[in-house]
Amino acid sequence: MSLATPTATWDTIQDVFYRKEEIYTMSWRIPDLSEYIIAVGKNGGPIAMIRDDRRPLISSRHPGKPKINVYTSSGIALSTIPWDLSTPILMHFTISSLIVLSDEGVYRVYDLSNTSDYKQYSLGEDVKESGIIDAVAYEDGMVILTGSLGWIELRGWSGGRGIPLLNVGLTEPPTSWTILSPDISPTGHVQLLISTSSTILTLDALEKIDQRISRGPFSHIRVSPNGRFLALITATGNLWVVSSDFSRNLSEVDIGELSDGAGLPDKVEWCGDNAITLVCGGRVVVVGPRGESLSWDYPPSAYIVGEIDGLRIISSASCEFVQKVPDCTLAVFSPGSSHPAAILYDALDHFERKSPKADESIRSIRPDLANAVDTCVEAAGREIEVNWQRRLLKAAQFGRAFMDLYNPSDFVAMAQTLKVLNAVRYYETGIPITYEQFIASSPSVLILHLVSRNLHLLALRISQHLGLRPDAVLSHWASAKIIRSSQQGVDPSDRGAGDDEGVCRAIVEKFEKEGERGVSYAEIARKAWENGRARLATMLLDHEPRAAEQVPLLLRMKEEKIALEKAVDSGDTDLVYQVLLHLRSSLSPGDFFHILDDSISPNLRPAVNLLQVYARQADRDLLRDFYYQDDRRTESGCLEMEEAGQMDHTEDRLEHLKMAAKYFGESKERLFESKMAEDAHRLLTLQQTYERELDNKFVFSGLSVNAFIHRLLMEGFSKRAERVRTDWKVPDKRFWWIKLKALAESKNWEGLENFAKSKKSPIGYEPFVNHLLSLTPPQPAQAASYVPRCDPKSRADLYVACGDWGKAAESAKDRNDKSKLDELRRRAPNGIAQREVDEVIRRVGK
Amino acid sequence: MASSSSPLPGPSRLNQPPPAPSTSGDSESTVPRPEEKGLDVGILKELARSALVESLNDIQGAKTLILDPALAGPLGLVTEVALLKHQAVDKMFWLEPGPLNVNTRNVVWLCRPKLEFMRTIAEQIQAQQSNPSSAGPLMYTILLVPRATELCRRILEDHGVAGDVTISEFKLELIPMEDDLLSLEMEDVARDVFLNGDDTPIYYSSLALMTFQRAFGLFPRILGKGDGAKKIADLLQRHHTTNPSLYGDIGTSSQVDGLIIIDRSIDWVTPMCTQLTYEGMLDEFVGIRNAHIEVDATLLDSNTAPAPSPSALPSTPITKKRKHHLTSQKDTLYSELRDLNFAVVGSRLSKVARRLEGDYGGVKNLKSVSQMKEFVGKLGGLQNEQQSLRLHTGLTELLMPITRLETFGRTLEAQQNLVAGYDPSSQLNTIEDLMNQEVDWRTVLRTAVIMSLTAGGIKPKSLEIFKRDFLQIYGYHHLPLLIALQELNLLVKSPPSVNLPFSNVRKPLRLVVDDIDDSNPNDISYVYSGYAPLSIRLVQCLTMRNSILSNPSVSLSLSQNQSQIEETGRKGIQRALPLSGWKGFEDSLSVLGGATVDVRQHGEKRDGSIIPDENKTTTTVVFFLGGCTFTEIAALRWMSRKTKGRRFLIATTGIINGNTLMESFGDNPPVQLKQQT
Repeated sequence: MSLATPTATWDTIQDVFYRKEEIYTMSWRIPDLSEYIIAVGKNGGPIAMIRDDRRPLISSRHPGKPKINVYTSSGIALSTIPWDLSTPILMHFTISSLIVLSDEGVYRVYDLSNTSDYKQYSLGEDVKESGIIDAVAYEDGMVILTGSLGWIELRGWSGGRGIPLLNVGLTEPPTSWTILSPDISPTGHVQLLISTSSTILTLDALEKIDQRISRGPFSHIRVSPNGRFLALITATGNLWVVSSDFSRNLSEVDIGELSDGAGLPDKVEWCGDNAITLVCGGRVVVVGPRGESLSWDYPPSAYIVGEIDGLRIISSASCEFVQKVPDCTLAVFSPGSSHPAAILYDALDHFERKSPKADESIRSIRPDLANAVDTCVEAAGREIEVNWQRRLLKAAQFGRAFMDLYNPSDFVAMAQTLKVLNAVRYYETGIPITYEQFIASSPSVLILHLVSRNLHLLALRISQHLGLRPDAVLSHWASAKIIRSSQQGVDPSDRGAGDDEGVCRAIVEKFEKEGERGVSYAEIARKAWENGRARLATMLLDHEPRAAEQVPLLLRMKEEKIALEKAVDSGDTDLVYQVLLHLRSSLSPGDFFHILDDSISPNLRPAVNLLQVYARQADRDLLRDFYYQDDRRTESGCLEMEEAGQMDHTEDRLEHLKMAAKYFGESKERLFESKMAEDAHRLLTLQQTYERELDNKFVFSGLSVNAFIHRLLMEGFSKRAERVRTDWKVPDKRFWWIKLKALAESKNWEGLENFAKSKKSPIGYEPFVNHLLSLTPPQPAQAASYVPRCDPKSRADLYVACGDWGKAAESAKDRNDKSKLDELRRRAPNGIAQREVDEVIRRVGK
Repeated sequence: MASSSSPLPGPSRLNQPPPAPSTSGDSESTVPRPEEKGLDVGILKELARSALVESLNDIQGAKTLILDPALAGPLGLVTEVALLKHQAVDKMFWLEPGPLNVNTRNVVWLCRPKLEFMRTIAEQIQAQQSNPSSAGPLMYTILLVPRATELCRRILEDHGVAGDVTISEFKLELIPMEDDLLSLEMEDVARDVFLNGDDTPIYYSSLALMTFQRAFGLFPRILGKGDGAKKIADLLQRHHTTNPSLYGDIGTSSQVDGLIIIDRSIDWVTPMCTQLTYEGMLDEFVGIRNAHIEVDATLLDSNTAPAPSPSALPSTPITKKRKHHLTSQKDTLYSELRDLNFAVVGSRLSKVARRLEGDYGGVKNLKSVSQMKEFVGKLGGLQNEQQSLRLHTGLTELLMPITRLETFGRTLEAQQNLVAGYDPSSQLNTIEDLMNQEVDWRTVLRTAVIMSLTAGGIKPKSLEIFKRDFLQIYGYHHLPLLIALQELNLLVKSPPSVNLPFSNVRKPLRLVVDDIDDSNPNDISYVYSGYAPLSIRLVQCLTMRNSILSNPSVSLSLSQNQSQIEETGRKGIQRALPLSGWKGFEDSLSVLGGATVDVRQHGEKRDGSIIPDENKTTTTVVFFLGGCTFTEIAALRWMSRKTKGRRFLIATTGIINGNTLMESFGDNPPVQLKQQT
């Protein structure tokens, strides 16, 4: 169907060129599209349709049970889905699935690669009761208008809870509404545009803004693909285009005459970001900004799909694409173009005809040659027709030959891309994706889509061709292979045991051949398990290097112990917890502890440790049981000690201490600890007794032995202090320290003096001096009184510490320590101290 | 490879003009050569910051943020609260039990994945739902740091609120504390890993190091000592091989030559010793948390009168405490002081004070307007310097009396004697004396632990007496702690049932150095005035082997005169040798026990060239599992300064000292008993 010139499909609206190209002649036999509810996937995606039972049946054929038919864009049937719920409110294609929403508050997600399998989610009781009036979807979610005139936003397709948007308080359904999806809305979150009475409300989860427009109500609101413009159709048949924040008026056109007086259009879509398209019955009208238009007729009906760079028109007979002619194409082909690219293209023509004009042309554009080549490459990408692509690339290649330096990467990339695009556009594949759409949606999205169409080989080749990781394709392929091989033989015995090995080997070999390490074997194993092939699943799972992937499936397969071992091996403690908690809830305590018995399986020790950490925080009873069962007396004792500390009632604390002593005592290794726990118990009991004896005027409970004695001494109960001392065999030295501190703290200087004299101090007397000096405020006078009892060698320095330089000098003199005296003279501060030292030195001199 | 042997300019396709004549002759020499700097780790901070902003932005509408108090510090190191306000955070509360008081649409909890938090959150949600607010249903989000765990999900499920909450994660991993210091700022890692056998921190560490490698390339070599080090090394390799989608395309690093993992359990002696650097002392006696120190407001405020004279008593009635961020970025004086032995801090401070006085004095000599202008321009800097001088003088004054305490001196003496292996049994008497004086229980235990580790356990009878006395003096609630220390092999009876290798490596690794000059150190042992941290000696085995075998300057000083020594002092900087592996130290390593790690990693491709460059500085990452002390940081910094061509980048699970370790090994102190009626 090669055409003589590329401009044969061109037409103008107000000096702007548009082109309409037929891509496919439809393979289907559907006389009238208007009898169906239709949904079409973006970027050349497939078509889904179900007979609209609200329309009167024209043909006499019995419609049979309702079903959804899915076709490619070229009209080849892909699959048929039986539909047993009420008529769908919404059908929507994502990259790899079809979402169908029924008005009973239920939606189903069909995997395009296997439509016999679907997931069904409910939107909750409230929605079920009120019903659904309408819904609008985008790639990752949808917004639903419920029968109670509230909007609910749903993010993701995995059964998440709907988020109610702000209540608008409408009393009747809006005349029309639409959404700005998160990728184009200014806030990054879904925004709604609602036409109600004469105005439009914008709404999101947080606020409602009345745009204060008085021209409504509007029958249609459409957002342009880039989200910056709105097309509104008024009830009076005016098409009004404004910026999406309503700040700029862009155009206003009376469309009454365009639609042949057929009233308001059935459907309105943007054609790229430049023009609006209306459908009235079988007529499609593209309207320019000033009302000029192009129109085509497709009796009896047509369906239009807006794409980011144009418009697809689907009719009974054909699939066509309308777009504003891209600038690069315009530069090369527009009649009379003097763009260097046009001249280059022309030069190739001359060259092939061996005309000398070729050289002349090249010369004339020499400075712009790079630009010309690039433009030709760009233009090649915008052609659907392979001939023109070739021709343009050839022109680029021709121009390249005349350049000194040229970076061929753009050229190579375009050639590669076109190879891919042509492959997927081939009518059997039927994905009429344009270069712009391909770039905007990214190659990996296309590959995902191909995979969902079960076109694995094509997807794999494209991945390799574009240098992308093939793991997604391979993993999908493997799952599909398992599903298919499982469906073939209904009776498992037919398959034979060899089949599992065969499938597993085929999958592993394929992955190894493609050199892919990133494929999740666990994912594939899960598929095998879900298809009732436990043995195959186990075999596949063995190839999975990531424990985090293995463990959930192993648990589902009831391979608890292996799951726990794998989790421990992984080093990921959260994974171990996951298994532990699963086991705890699914096994009896006996079996649970048995699995964890580390005398049987020492490699599970880390899991046992984690169990203790968990139980200590969350499940004390479990911990106690575990310690008891496992004969861990030390741990039991420690637990009791810890809990004793947390008790704020003395009786409870005593009880725990008793238990601690008991547990420790049951272990030969812990007799000392048992004794200590007993001592603790004894101490607290004694403290209680004393408190009672002293009419609860004092608080002793909780004090350590030292603090207890100290306190008793401070309060003057020296007999009782003495008793504690003997009962706990407090050594002399320590007791002296306690008493020294207590007496000093209570400023009982006389008592301290008597205590010092009571017998020879086991700690010496320097501590007396130092301690008195360290008090706040220091007591140098008191301190100095103990210096004479200290070692003569250190007396001088101790006196200095007490601030008594005279006595310091005296004691140095007494020892005939000349050098000390000199040192004192040097160190003594000016004034009295200096004079005192000098005085002593003078006396020595005598 | 390009050859520079040809003197003639080679034929060049691109005819470059000759370089323009330089206008200032010395412009090149004044600019510090960029290679001298190590890795720019600021990117990690940026990553953390933007991750938080994104997480918050994803939540639509006004938010109330409820923060795990333990995260406030680490969070403050990557972002400012002011920034959070920009992300529509209206109110902030601490995460603690009790009802919520929220009037925003969103409630966001930001916390570590701890069970107790999940329970609190669940209760708060339930309370809120049974008493709905007027603003309609609230949106609940939990941001878990550094990752969302299944365990937390389960707890929420068990409480029946899992469906109402969005759980996502905020990957706060290695936080740059300084240019050469990264920390996970996780608490109680040593307890979790070595006492409880909970390897969660090991797993988190491995993930953080993977993130590090994504930023800077694969470590060409991983070395390490200890079983925990082995686990990390294994995990790093496993992540790399089993997760190609995330880590598959990391090239081998050209900036980093290796990772050295030190497992804390290999060296417990070092953190038990009292740190003697300025920063180490501040941490021990004042406390540094998340690089912040809490001090009297008067030390920070420039407007108040200078700090009271040193004779004033420490118990001034009302002192307002304020938090201060200790960082070398804003405080150059601090970067000068922090790693010095405390003994020389005083003299360094007075030097700075004198210089400042001179600088201010310069105002008298100003003759021309341009000189005045110059002086005024300097004033701001001078004021900053003066302010930091005031702070550090104040802090030094705070530490000084502590070092003068008799008990401090005796503790230090006992510790140093033990480390040197000198007369262990008499040190036990010192410990007993210290206990009788009721010095801090942590100090006593640390010293006892050093004794047990260095002397191969304590005689059973003596140990029992020590424990008995300890419990009587400090309370019986410490009993589980003593058992924990025994289980960690930190406080055991002799002969020990396990290997206590310290005394066997003391000589071969030259852990005790006698003649150390505090003011001009020639060995890392200056950080403990004579003890070279074992952990850092191990790093030296790999990077500065000569310093272990001998002390260069000592041998020189015997044979050479003063001027020559000074010259070598300047030349004391060694050229970095390539990472050598453990060869030559096999004996010590096997004595130390635990796994030894030495593996090489190869990326898919190499980023940058592998041409060895004389002037290039490579970075060696030293990771401490279980935390490191400020003295160890100081020692590594000293090594960076003494090596040309290698910078050490310190990474750790957190910064610890002996006191924080001891506290974490024990239980919480007992609660107050209720009064009987």
